[in-house]
Amino acid sequence: MAYSEKVIDHYENPRNVGKLDKNDPTVGTGMVGAPACGDVMQLQIKVNDLGVIEDAKFKTYGCGSAIASSSLATEWMKGKTIDEAETIKNTQLAEELALPPVKIHCSVLAEDAIKAAVRDYRQKKGLL
Amino acid sequence: MGTLCHYALFDLKPAFRLDLEQLAVRYRELARGVHPDRFADAPEREQRQALEQSAALNEAYQTLKSAPRRARYLLAISGHEVPQEITVQDPVFLLQQMQWREELEELQENADIDGIVPFKKRLKAAQASLEDDFAGCWDNPAEHEQAERLMRRMQFLDKLGQEVRQLEERLDD
Repeated sequence: MAYSEKVIDHYENPRNVGKLDKNDPTVGTGMVGAPACGDVMQLQIKVNDLGVIEDAKFKTYGCGSAIASSSLATEWMKGKTIDEAETIKNTQLAEELALPPVKIHCSVLAEDAIKAAVRDYRQKKGLL
Repeated sequence: MGTLCHYALFDLKPAFRLDLEQLAVRYRELARGVHPDRFADAPEREQRQALEQSAALNEAYQTLKSAPRRARYLLAISGHEVPQEITVQDPVFLLQQMQWREELEELQENADIDGIVPFKKRLKAAQASLEDDFAGCWDNPAEHEQAERLMRRMQFLDKLGQEVRQLEERLDD
């Protein structure tokens, strides 16, 4: 299957690959997986006192679309508040990356990872 | 025939534990009986029937011989049909999956053929233990959530196994 140029760009030059310290109280970690394709995605955010995401990192084992979706997600999250980041929709990621229908679930996985990371951060801060 | 249960096609009762060698023998026998070549001179209706039976038999065999597919099928026929594409949040297990992927990546970078052997051993052991757990709980309605979780884990390990085989092939070249 042919990947879009944007997917290839994120795949070849992924933004924000890496890990943040899980035990840091200002870091939220979202760990999600897609069993049917075996994809595993970790997305982490570092949040400042104003609730703004200062840094975001991801590590994804999966296909090009899954890597591109998580890479784009970290790019979009940086500089946003956690409330804003939570509103990022898989459809926006899929549209930006021109994902074909069979790869939409990769963008769903990225959206779920964003939500899981924000929830983990809130839990740590006692905000839930 | 297409609506007949995959197990019934093989004269088996639904169970997770299966003798895969016996299943393969049975499959070859049955497949011979409905092979389209045998119906080359038969009326069109019979030819079509044989084709349908052959496809149903193949689908049943592919499902039953794979542990995660068999597990998902058992859940479905016991009333817990679960979607193929979902997001799993199973942090401890996923963290371990990520570590295994990292190890596999390292084996690849170092072209470490010898290192694959112990890796495969651990993977096999993990699969066997998942299968034991699943066999012990899938038919208990009170445990179907746990059974689904175990089935999902089997799916991940199955994929990991495919990655290992691909790596072996690359390193063999």
